[in-house]
Amino acid sequence: MIYSVLHTTTFTYQPAVRESVMEVRLQPRSDGPQHCLTFELDVTPAANIMQYRDFMGNTVHHFDIAGKHSEVKVTARSSVEVQSAPPPNSADAGSWSDLDRAISSVSGSDDYWEMLLPSQFAKSTSCLEAFAKDLRCERRDTPLQLLTELNQSIYESFAYVPNSTNVDSPIDDALHSRQGVCQDFAHIMIALVRPLRIPCCYVSGYMFHRDAAEEKKDRSLEGASHAWIEALIPNLGWIAFDPTNNLIGADRHIRVALGRDYADVPPTRGVHKGEAQSALSVSVTVSPSDAPPPVQLPPTLVIQSRPTTARTPRIDHEQQQQQQ
Amino acid sequence: MQPSRTRTRGLLRRVTLPDSAHPLFRPPFRNYQFDSAYDEMFEAPGIPRPHYRALFQTLLDLPSEELRKSQQAAELSFLHQGITFTVYGNSEGTERVFPNDLLPRIIPHAEWRKIESGLTQRIAALNLFLEDIYHNGRILADGIVPKELVYTCRHFRREMRGLNVPRGIYVSICGTDLVRLPDGNFAVLEDNLRVPSGVSYMLANRKVLKKVFPTLFRDYGVCPVDHYAQALLATLRALTPPNFYGRHEPTVVLLTPGVFNSAYFEHTFLAQQMGIELVEGRDLLVHDNVVYMRTTAGLRRVDVIYRRVDDDFLDPLCFQRDSSLGVPGLFNAYRTGNVSLANAIGTGIADDKAVYAYVPAIIRYYLGEDPILANVPTYLLTDRSQQNYVLDHLDELVVKAVGESGGYGMLIGPQSTAEQREDFRRRIQAEPRNYIAQPTLSLSRAPCFLDGEAQARHVDLRPYILYGENVTLVPGGLTRVALRRGSLVVNSSQGGGSKDTWVLRA
Repeated sequence: MIYSVLHTTTFTYQPAVRESVMEVRLQPRSDGPQHCLTFELDVTPAANIMQYRDFMGNTVHHFDIAGKHSEVKVTARSSVEVQSAPPPNSADAGSWSDLDRAISSVSGSDDYWEMLLPSQFAKSTSCLEAFAKDLRCERRDTPLQLLTELNQSIYESFAYVPNSTNVDSPIDDALHSRQGVCQDFAHIMIALVRPLRIPCCYVSGYMFHRDAAEEKKDRSLEGASHAWIEALIPNLGWIAFDPTNNLIGADRHIRVALGRDYADVPPTRGVHKGEAQSALSVSVTVSPSDAPPPVQLPPTLVIQSRPTTARTPRIDHEQQQQQQ
Repeated sequence: MQPSRTRTRGLLRRVTLPDSAHPLFRPPFRNYQFDSAYDEMFEAPGIPRPHYRALFQTLLDLPSEELRKSQQAAELSFLHQGITFTVYGNSEGTERVFPNDLLPRIIPHAEWRKIESGLTQRIAALNLFLEDIYHNGRILADGIVPKELVYTCRHFRREMRGLNVPRGIYVSICGTDLVRLPDGNFAVLEDNLRVPSGVSYMLANRKVLKKVFPTLFRDYGVCPVDHYAQALLATLRALTPPNFYGRHEPTVVLLTPGVFNSAYFEHTFLAQQMGIELVEGRDLLVHDNVVYMRTTAGLRRVDVIYRRVDDDFLDPLCFQRDSSLGVPGLFNAYRTGNVSLANAIGTGIADDKAVYAYVPAIIRYYLGEDPILANVPTYLLTDRSQQNYVLDHLDELVVKAVGESGGYGMLIGPQSTAEQREDFRRRIQAEPRNYIAQPTLSLSRAPCFLDGEAQARHVDLRPYILYGENVTLVPGGLTRVALRRGSLVVNSSQGGGSKDTWVLRA
């Protein structure tokens, strides 16, 4: 299946700012079951776009706009081929001891280690421990069976409520209120399974939503980027679990970036000079490539923020207080 | 050679019955005391070591009023030069005149040679270690250093993976803390591979002592240290970035966190000595992966940055988001090879106090040599049996937080209260990876001129190692003094002082 993706991000500033420096992770990956056929990135005002690959192999584009500007618009167009894979067969999946062997036998490659340790957003809290206890989250059955169950439990335990949490909300917010967005569910699932020594990573990307008429409607928001996880299942490799939609395997999922958690792979990240009221609006359309070319929809995500308060000298002092 | 324990006790008894004929008991040594620690000046009570004889005689000959005047002159000179240090954790954020002690610490040539070769070996091995863990990770795959130790280190920078740095040198400026143990041998207490400070005090101490003891200094044949700033500049220039073409000479700047940093005096001092610009983050900007400095004559390209800002604050785009001290986009310019940083990003992994325990193994692994300078025995608290031992002996050991420096986050067992020990017990159990323990070391002691007389105080030694085209050590270093009686903490941030260090030419 070939998908076309149009992802538009607009930042507006009032009053104008200067010296914006920005990094974006918007280019779909070419590995595993998918291949990025074309990718185009436009930035206005015009800027030189440079790129590099980060330590997870994600393609990062970056640019800076030195002069005064009151808007930055980033448009990414890509077409991606995704091979549909049959759902993982539990008869083939290995046992816990197979998993331990897989982790310890690897020499040279350290990817598993990173994906086994707690990270900024995906770490254990007392709230999470209580939740883990409720779910009997421990080494039982097979890794695949347990993950399948956890995926469903998270789906059932939380309500999907757009904008109920922020991008940098700790998982406790969602755990308390039992509601959140894809990001929270991914972080909760990662934090649950890493202590069981299952390598698990965060995936940022897109999902193609089927028509609402279908019997099982996707919960995640159409027109936004999406997040889910991948876990290492012995004998099967990395398998995608989407706790937001209770899906396993990912033939409608388009992987853009892999990381330990959201902090590694935000779609856009930037810094600018000048205090301003800013607004961020994002729109995403994913369509089969034989459909008419994607058009830009009204933004699905709008974030308004007040100017960051001028840093008090006190904070500056604290930051300057490093030494060796 | 060195006073045995019983002999020391005998002396302390004798002190109560002063023998005015014995030179040791004449001023200013009337109340000089010994304990089991190595004494830098005396090989036995009353008998100075050969290299200290001239100083000893001078002190006996000088009227104590004269010494006091010299001390006042030295203090005034420090105040006038504005040689200060800021102590944190104090509501007033006090900036203090850096306490200096009048009496030089003297190191014979042969001892220095051993220190020099030991530190050269160490910096070479640590650089190879850094290059390895940020590339192929051979040492991890071979199981010499546990992977977990590296990946759980707060100072490990994933972003540096696969990135090549000029000449493969990660640590160009290093300050290693040495202590002398009771057997007279130097051992490495810790490596400072991020942004070591203190070198300006070494230079200032020398300047003042030369004025106070001009004749003594000349007659002693002391190796000079005054060329440090030039050696540092040469080291920085040797780190020209890969994309530096044709221009005459690289533009080097010193990046400081700002006036509130404890070492701000040093930043201004070094920049001025090297004749380079002192800049803050806001003075720099990155455009199309090139770093520029704002000057009154417009933008000027920057090639090498001697940064005295920690990794975390260096680039808000890449590291700590809310840093107002850094330069957005700096890391991308660095990755592209348009600018060099000294030290490189991510060197903190190699001076993590838990990785420290593996440095002898690291030296053997990369160089196939035995370490010339020994390590201090270190207990890793992630190991169950070592942790149990430490928890049972908290009153004897020193516990340190692995990522801290400057003497913060430390428990000194023998001088601790039950409450402090309980606090550390809880902290260790909660986060064993964050702490290590070492035996309480008896640092060597040297005479200091305090309250009008010579008193023995614990000292350490921080030589500075530069690594550019080759490894350079300026002969000397910062001898730090625990000025409080009985104290073992020499860190300037904990109220320590310093004294001039004389390495002899022969």
